[in-house]
Amino acid sequence: MTEKTVKQLRELLDRKEISAPELTKEYLKRIETVDKSLESFITVTADKALAAAEKAQERINRGETAPLTGIPLAIKDNICTEGVKTTCASRMLENFVPPYNATVMEKLDAQDAVMLGKTSLDEFAMGGSTQTSAFAKTRNPYDISRVPGGSSGGSAAAVGGDLCAASLGSDTGGSIRQPASFCGVTGIKPTYGRVSRYGLVAFASSFDQIGPIARSAEDCGIILNAISGSDPHDGTSSRNAVPDFNEKIGKGMKGVKIAVVKEFFAEGVDDEVRNSVMAAIDTYKAMGAEIVEASMPSLKYAIAAYYLIASAEASSNLSRYDGIKYGHRSDIVGSYNDLIIASRSEGFGDEVKRRILLGNYALSSGYYDAYYGKAMGLRQKIREEYADIFTKCDLIITPTAPTVAYGVNENIDDPKKMYQADFCTVTVNIASLPAISTPCGYDSKGMPIGMSIVGRMWDEASLIAAADAFEKQFSRIPAKL
Amino acid sequence: MELEMVKYLSKLAKLSYTDEELEQAVKDMTSIIEIMDTIKDIDVTYDPYKDNHNVYLEDLREDVAQPSLPTDKLLQNAVNQDNCFVVPKVVE
Repeated sequence: MTEKTVKQLRELLDRKEISAPELTKEYLKRIETVDKSLESFITVTADKALAAAEKAQERINRGETAPLTGIPLAIKDNICTEGVKTTCASRMLENFVPPYNATVMEKLDAQDAVMLGKTSLDEFAMGGSTQTSAFAKTRNPYDISRVPGGSSGGSAAAVGGDLCAASLGSDTGGSIRQPASFCGVTGIKPTYGRVSRYGLVAFASSFDQIGPIARSAEDCGIILNAISGSDPHDGTSSRNAVPDFNEKIGKGMKGVKIAVVKEFFAEGVDDEVRNSVMAAIDTYKAMGAEIVEASMPSLKYAIAAYYLIASAEASSNLSRYDGIKYGHRSDIVGSYNDLIIASRSEGFGDEVKRRILLGNYALSSGYYDAYYGKAMGLRQKIREEYADIFTKCDLIITPTAPTVAYGVNENIDDPKKMYQADFCTVTVNIASLPAISTPCGYDSKGMPIGMSIVGRMWDEASLIAAADAFEKQFSRIPAKL
Repeated sequence: MELEMVKYLSKLAKLSYTDEELEQAVKDMTSIIEIMDTIKDIDVTYDPYKDNHNVYLEDLREDVAQPSLPTDKLLQNAVNQDNCFVVPKVVE
């Protein structure tokens, strides 16, 4: 039961073949037995989940079902949940209980979806392995000696390990797509502004976006339908009309132009990953898509541009943690300033501190123009290069990550190597574009490989349709946990 | 990156480090800045007027006071007394 898609579960619930409380219990049981080794959750909200499931069942009984009524979901622990701890996997917010719900939670509640709990992440969503989490260093459901990716590693592992029907993650530089790729599931980073960021704990505000992780592109569309839309609480949320994101499914790939941008397949990408993504592109060709070649000369500067801008924004956003209004408060007695310094130094982990230092460096007097100013110039250049590519194509396909999931102890002490591994995903955030990652193969050891499909702003429906077309002819091999 | 620069940045960031941590931070930041320095090879300038801000300034809500969170909820995550945040004494 726990391995089914949201779409399948909807049918079972509506046909009364299973009740919402029974379904929730199935997942809670699975979490109880499997999550000791997977560590995908920081907080499991069993009682609240069962109460929500009861309420959902009443709604189903009344025949007033919404697409997510009674569907058990996991929520990344940087999304504020009223009355439920939201830790960002940081000692800084270890005991933080939000006084309000994120807008996405209000929207899920409006459909009577069931929250099973809060999933682990890299501290403050800064990382690609979930190993910087202060509370749950999540493992990969395909091989628990490996990382699940990150930063939404808990959300991706929980879907890949069948601990929830689907989940919400957040993506600042690849944090939905890369863990989805590592855990053999599908995840979409919507266009910047598509989903309200209100209640998403801020990391880099001009990049952050919430999105779904699920077992299929169609499931991602169902959840995106529920959480999208304009929000008076978020001035950057788009006023554009929200379409049905699944409306293009089944229309075929004939005549769709797909670009292969050569720089994304260059040195640094593992052969098995490259071959698998190229084979997927051949599959699209066989479906009638037209393949065109393209180039993005600025890709080699993208990591620098991304880390400078994201860290600059993070250093500013994280200055709110002073140990006074909320968050960790040091026991060290001293002046007002001493309290702030001690609280921050005790509360933040090493990677978060590195990003704050980098952000301060990029913004500091004498370095601003050379780093932050130039990074912002590059941001415009990368946007222009994408706009140019999209004059020749409808979609772009790239590997989601240069490798499959690596061992839990690899790369952890080498921030430079960790940062460079993000080169396949960051330009999408830089250019505010939507992108979906879906499994396209497995390496010789059985680890999942993901491809990313990138589209024009606001065209998530085409990405979902293209990913769905591939998924329908691809045999997904589930994790054996 | 020099030790003095890391000390300066940590002061700006309101973070304190032990000597041992500082040594590691210098090493890490030096390595990270190597990647950031690749940006020096390219000649680009930022034009704020060309930027896609994604902020909808023409569509702001009416400037009318709306209910906000009650004080007890705002203080629930803080050391507080008499409906105020408690901070160390800031005046002599």
